[in-house]
Amino acid sequence: MRFLSAVSLTVPVVLASCAEPEYPRRTVAGADAARGLELVRETGCAACHDIPQVRWPKGRSGPPLAGIGTRPLIAGRIPNQPDAMGAFIQDAPSLVPGTAMPAMPLNDRQARDVAAFLYTLDDD
Amino acid sequence: MTPETGFDTRKYDRFPSQGPRPEGELEELEAAWCPPRRAGEWITAINNNIIGIYYVGAAMLFFILAGTLALLMRTQLALPMAGILPQETYNQIFTMHGTVMMFLFAVPAVEALAVLLLPQILGARDLPFPRLGAYAFWAYLIGGLAFFCSLFFGLAPNGGWFMYPPLTGKTYSPGINADFWLLGIGFIEISAIAGAIEIIVGVLKTRAPGMTLDKLPIFAWAMLIFACMIIIAFPSIILATLLLELERALNWPFFDPLKGGDPMLWQHLFWFFGHPEVYIIFLPAAGAMSTIIPAMARTRLVGHSLVVMAMLATGFISFGVWAHHMFTTGMPQISINYFSAASMAVSLPAGVQVFAWIATIAAGKMRFSTPGLFAVGGLVIFVMGGLSGVMVAMVPFDLQAHDSYFIVAHLHYVLIGGMVFPLFAAIYYWFPMSSSRTLSERWGRWIFWLMFAGHNIAFLPMHLSGLMGMPRRVYTYLPDADLALPNIISTIGAFLFGLAVLLWVIDMFRNFRPFGRREVGNIHDGPGLEWLPSDYYSVRSIPVVKSLYPLWDQPELAEQVKQGRWLLPGAKNGERQTLVTSPLNAEPQYVLRIARPSPWHVFGAVFTAGFFLILTVQAYAAAVVSGVLAVFCIMRWCWSLDMPHKRRSTDIGEGIRLPNYVSGSSGHGWWAMVLLLIVSGMVCLLAAFSYIFLWSRRPDLWQAPPELSSLILNVGLLAAAAAASLLAPKVLRQFRKRAETMTTVFVLVGATLAGVAIVNEFQAWAVQGLDPEISSQGASVFALLAWSAVFCAISALMALYLLLRRGFGYVSPDRPTTVDVICLFLTFTAVQAALSILLIRLFPGGGL
Amino acid sequence: MDFRSGWPPPVLDPAGPFAGPLTTVAWVLFVMGLAVFLIVVAVLGVALFGPPRFRRSLQTERLVWIGGIAFPVVVLSALLVYGLATTARLSDAADEGEMRVRVTGEMWWWRVAYLDTEGREAIQDANEVHIPTGQPVVIELESADVIHSLWIPRLGGKTDMIPGRRNFMRIQADTPGVYTGQCAEYCGGPHALMGLVVIAHTPEDYDVWRARQAQPAPLSSLPGAQTFTAAGCGACHTIRGTSANGLAGPDLTHVGSRRTLGAGILPNNQGTMAGWISDSQAIKPGNRMPSYPVMTGQELQDISAYLESLK
Repeated sequence: MRFLSAVSLTVPVVLASCAEPEYPRRTVAGADAARGLELVRETGCAACHDIPQVRWPKGRSGPPLAGIGTRPLIAGRIPNQPDAMGAFIQDAPSLVPGTAMPAMPLNDRQARDVAAFLYTLDDD
Repeated sequence: MTPETGFDTRKYDRFPSQGPRPEGELEELEAAWCPPRRAGEWITAINNNIIGIYYVGAAMLFFILAGTLALLMRTQLALPMAGILPQETYNQIFTMHGTVMMFLFAVPAVEALAVLLLPQILGARDLPFPRLGAYAFWAYLIGGLAFFCSLFFGLAPNGGWFMYPPLTGKTYSPGINADFWLLGIGFIEISAIAGAIEIIVGVLKTRAPGMTLDKLPIFAWAMLIFACMIIIAFPSIILATLLLELERALNWPFFDPLKGGDPMLWQHLFWFFGHPEVYIIFLPAAGAMSTIIPAMARTRLVGHSLVVMAMLATGFISFGVWAHHMFTTGMPQISINYFSAASMAVSLPAGVQVFAWIATIAAGKMRFSTPGLFAVGGLVIFVMGGLSGVMVAMVPFDLQAHDSYFIVAHLHYVLIGGMVFPLFAAIYYWFPMSSSRTLSERWGRWIFWLMFAGHNIAFLPMHLSGLMGMPRRVYTYLPDADLALPNIISTIGAFLFGLAVLLWVIDMFRNFRPFGRREVGNIHDGPGLEWLPSDYYSVRSIPVVKSLYPLWDQPELAEQVKQGRWLLPGAKNGERQTLVTSPLNAEPQYVLRIARPSPWHVFGAVFTAGFFLILTVQAYAAAVVSGVLAVFCIMRWCWSLDMPHKRRSTDIGEGIRLPNYVSGSSGHGWWAMVLLLIVSGMVCLLAAFSYIFLWSRRPDLWQAPPELSSLILNVGLLAAAAAASLLAPKVLRQFRKRAETMTTVFVLVGATLAGVAIVNEFQAWAVQGLDPEISSQGASVFALLAWSAVFCAISALMALYLLLRRGFGYVSPDRPTTVDVICLFLTFTAVQAALSILLIRLFPGGGL
Repeated sequence: MDFRSGWPPPVLDPAGPFAGPLTTVAWVLFVMGLAVFLIVVAVLGVALFGPPRFRRSLQTERLVWIGGIAFPVVVLSALLVYGLATTARLSDAADEGEMRVRVTGEMWWWRVAYLDTEGREAIQDANEVHIPTGQPVVIELESADVIHSLWIPRLGGKTDMIPGRRNFMRIQADTPGVYTGQCAEYCGGPHALMGLVVIAHTPEDYDVWRARQAQPAPLSSLPGAQTFTAAGCGACHTIRGTSANGLAGPDLTHVGSRRTLGAGILPNNQGTMAGWISDSQAIKPGNRMPSYPVMTGQELQDISAYLESLK
């Protein structure tokens, strides 16, 4: 059953990717991307990141987040997976020592919401 | 009615004349007033029919440019924290929007209407100083365009249109952006004042005979009051810009509190100009409304004399309300109360005019063609602006509304309802006078409704934005303040307004055909003299006016005028002529020879604008060259004036002969000089006020004046200069022998004495150790003296000019006007200098 | 979009006795203004389209006398008296013992000093004014450079800050809460981003806050304290209890406890602090703090952690 559903999910993706190579959209189970955007605004992530749906500020200290949903790596080091993303948002320095990105005051659930929002940011 | 000049008004009964007109009379008239033929002649032209069109066109160009800036701003503000315009660009754009709208659109636009319409409305052939009018126009166009272009180089001013120091001082605005404003506005002031002098003399001295003040059309009344207000109000901004430029360029502290200056001085000076400015813009437009509404309703203006009184009252009260822009500056309570009361009082005359218009509409039957629509729409918008004006005159409310978007909404309701809509009504109403095709009525309706809807959609929500806490002059707002909704609505409205203006421009291109020989004519059935059949010479003959609505009351008048049956039906000796009449009863006094086209006023304008603009970019040598050339061109332009006449008098019809030349106080040149001196005197008076104001701020910094003996010497020298200049005209008229030479000598001596006195006074203070860079006393004393020194320098130039004319034999007892005018100026210079010196010596309590 | 989210607007939502009367005046004016507007439009409508019988009664000078002179004189006189009375009541002199705060406008932030009973500056702070509820607080308004104007719509009207002068205004909040304010007089550059917050505490909470605020910063063992000193931040900023004693920028002794960064524009947390230090010019163009592109990630991490620890 799982195999079938995996196939049924994968086939169209593979077919589609033949026409136009595209990465599968990552999702975070049970998280709310809209709430994630709210949190991004309230926390001021844009002070360092250019985030497509946040008009201001357009911080430049961190990488722009357009397309973060499809990028293979986080901070050039960690595979871009939902759990890793959540952990990185909460406490970047412990995963990437020397980064300027500080630990953010978000709990697990909030971090997952933010990750879900980030995964809506496809290329462009 | 007692005659004012001794002219027997029963002679009016000889008109209209009977019998055929002499052969060739019309041809001679046409030849004298022939329109330009070669391309260059379109530039040297001075006829008000041509310059007026240029002038209106240029004003509308600046309206469109500044409107485009508004659309850019609304695009940036459509969404919170949008990044369409960078902050610095936005700051420049909003400064330019306000400045261009106020100085390059609103005031010039109404002056342009005056230049275009007044001669016709008054039954004159042209304005009395057509070259001055053309000069004002060219200086304005060239300077205005260059000023606007500063935007493209990122050099536009960015301090807001009221340029409050210290933000605009050298410390916080080190670039030349602020200088562009100060110097750019400088020559536009010159242009405005030149226009105002022209208008006042025009209305008072070149009316058709019989057009007594009670028969003066309401539009001319409005223009007269408007121009007088410019004469009184503009000196304040001239002084303010001079002082700020002195502070920026020479470090003289007028506004720097560390050295005894005070930023509040700027606010007082600016708003003493700035508030009357609003009424300066509104009154002519109101005059247009009071003309158009009766015409479109086909009835007389109800309460004509009340409306005139109301306009006069507006003029007076508007000079007593300036500080209502300063309720939040911590003024004393008593001043706040006074200015609040005065601000409410100034709404009364506006109410009188509004109800006079409504009563007129009720009395007639309004026609809803485009001018009528714009008039009624403007009325409604203006009423809303007036009501929000009463709100902000209430101090407790103003403490919240001040400097917020509520004010932005209020001022646009007042200015668009009170000026822009009436201006469009005027353009549509008088359009057939100047074009051989009419504008499309169908488009006109679309344009009106789009503009009316666009205006309200744009500006009504701004009241709310203000109450929501949005300050004015912000390039953006934070997303969490709920301001997005009213702002996006405002932006949509602004673009609708822009669309309306675009449609109007397209229709102008389709249908505006000026400078033809066959205009559409009186399709509105208007009652004023401007609807008489006309050509470049204006009317074929100048009628005697017997009522406020001559074309309605004398239906046969148009035909008689066209047949040349009234006064001055030709152009004797091939000269351009118009009648000069007395200021109250419009009794004919003399025939004025009007100047001809010339390149000199154009060059004068180019170099004047060049002087100010080059000064801005700090190329001082080039600026001086340009300034000298400007002075030369202006002198060359004057040179050909006041030349001998072939005959002493002219037959203006039916055997009535009028002199071709008068001197003294009935002459138009004398009037113009007096007006110019009032402007100068106002500047000096306000400088004296500034001096006292700065003393009151920091009396501890004031030092004692130089010893008394130098005071007595200098005032004595100035008294001698004044005496010489007072005697000179009498010498010219009464000496039997060598009168011309003696007069010239008197003038030269007078100018020299005045110059010596001023130099002495400078030295006395310098020896005393007063330094203009160190204290506000030094700055204001030196500024007062510098003002007088400039006048002494001009006097010296005039004296040399007179010497030159003496050399050519152009000084003669027959034609004393040049001498009269120069001596008037010289006397004023001496008196002004003496009073300034007495003030700085005796106040506060030093010296004696 | 929630159309009601902006209602009532702050000016119509007063939170203290210095704003309340202004709101009452505003409502009186709106109602009267609307009434007068409707009357004028109705009269205009009759004049334009009404039956001849009605129009006849409007077409004389009598209308001008009544509508343009008599009616406005009565209404405006009444309004004037009402307005002057309200102004007089609001501008009662402050009592001797009222708490005083000095707010100095600077390009483009607010220096805040809490004065002791002798009028000396006891506590330095920036961009936030803390007040106790239920009592008037006198704000002394000064400017360090150009003209600014302090406007906290829910607590009262605005008053200008003029170089060389000292103005006063009184505010009072009746309930604890956060009230936003803004510079209302154009002061160049990022004038639009010159915000401030007023935080009203219950008197007890206020005393606690003030006592804590009066303390110098504790000796910190965080690495960021070293970095802060080494990077020269102390040339512009003061942290009481350390060697940092610069006066050009905001006092940072308790910066970690503030709600906002950059004068009321960003939420305050370690992330935004790091972003602000690293590139404040991208966030608030033209502000007087330079961006610091020379700092390493670790340094930013450390400094922001240190500053956020200054509660």
